[in-house]
Amino acid sequence: MDDDETRATIAEMLASGLETEVWPRAGTSEEVNEIVARLQVEAGQDLEKKLVIAGFTDHTIEADEIEQPCETCMYYKVHAKFCELPELMVPVEPEWSCRLWRI
Amino acid sequence: MANLLWLQGGACSGNTMSFLNAEEPSACDLVTDFGINVLWQPSLGLELGDQVKAIVEKCISGEIKLDIFVFEGTVINAPDGTGEWNRFCGRPMKEWVKELSAVADFVVAIGDCATYGGIPATAPNPSDSVGLQFLKRDKGGALGEGFAAKSGLPVINIPGCPAHPDWVTQILVAVATGRAGDLTLDEFHRPKTFFSSFTQTGCTRNMHFAYKVSTTAFGQRKGCLFYDLGCRGPMTHSPCNRILWNRHSSKTRAGMPCLGCTEPEFPFFDLAPGTVFKTQTVMGVPKDMPEGVDKKGYIKLTSAAKGAAPAWAEEDIFVV
Repeated sequence: MDDDETRATIAEMLASGLETEVWPRAGTSEEVNEIVARLQVEAGQDLEKKLVIAGFTDHTIEADEIEQPCETCMYYKVHAKFCELPELMVPVEPEWSCRLWRI
Repeated sequence: MANLLWLQGGACSGNTMSFLNAEEPSACDLVTDFGINVLWQPSLGLELGDQVKAIVEKCISGEIKLDIFVFEGTVINAPDGTGEWNRFCGRPMKEWVKELSAVADFVVAIGDCATYGGIPATAPNPSDSVGLQFLKRDKGGALGEGFAAKSGLPVINIPGCPAHPDWVTQILVAVATGRAGDLTLDEFHRPKTFFSSFTQTGCTRNMHFAYKVSTTAFGQRKGCLFYDLGCRGPMTHSPCNRILWNRHSSKTRAGMPCLGCTEPEFPFFDLAPGTVFKTQTVMGVPKDMPEGVDKKGYIKLTSAAKGAAPAWAEEDIFVV
């Protein structure tokens, strides 16, 4: 699958009610490390597990009075619409969100 | 002619190794061109044992005028404040340090250990180490907050792990040639000529910083190391990207995050697991911001900059 197809697949999975671990957000670096470790160990290349563990949503989540859309995240490549976190590496939409968001 | 004595306390000799690689001017230039007489240096001195002791004692008695006392490494106080864990010429080094500092015209601390305590003073600081006039950010250290050398200057701190060789030799030349009056020191006694700008000043990754494009793994030539890999370049005072290392490069230019080794807190977060080479965040926002930037401004700037990022900023633009 190319990125557009994968992005469409993810959008469909999220729209059809895939339960992901949206909360709690990764508030501290330790919590980030725990989630990243789970992605490495539990998810590997399994797309659905990646989405679940990272807490993907197809809309922007606000936490601690900060909106957390993919488009402002450090791992987001604007022109490729792609999440470059090594443990995720998935095409995304700018308004999506996940709990590993960082700015 | 200016007499210089260099001693080491709780040290790895890294600053001596750095000093010996100086180029502008070189360690040899100090002697041949700038009239510095090296009375003794741990890696260069020919004298051993009682001969060294005689030199040091003559400095203290005034028989030999001590113009510049250079100290590398921490002042060790353990055990129980005695300093016995670091003996030199039959006495705790801390005693020599106090007596030599009292008679020297200038006292120069080289490297992070001598300036602020550095790695040896990281909690729980088993060697009870301190810098010459600081312990991390706290004033005092081995010589006390009010200490001033005979010249009237406090300890001149040249931090770094190690200090860049040319910072060392250039300051020694300034002092030895009577231009110490030109030196202005910051609140941590660092010469402002070197330590007013940031490590980020001159970094080749600045355009990636500007467009908020992150390096996400070691070895990438694109991206800024601040966002994810814990680079402290935007809040560390040093000229590492102005006065290059080996005249060619720097940590950040080579893809290595700045560790902030010229700041008093180094090593940061007491080297707790997960804190090295990883930007520490609170709800996704960096704990330590670029100096002078607040959280609100940072978020606004990042959103705008990311939205404006050109496509090339996301690619590796360096080709072989």
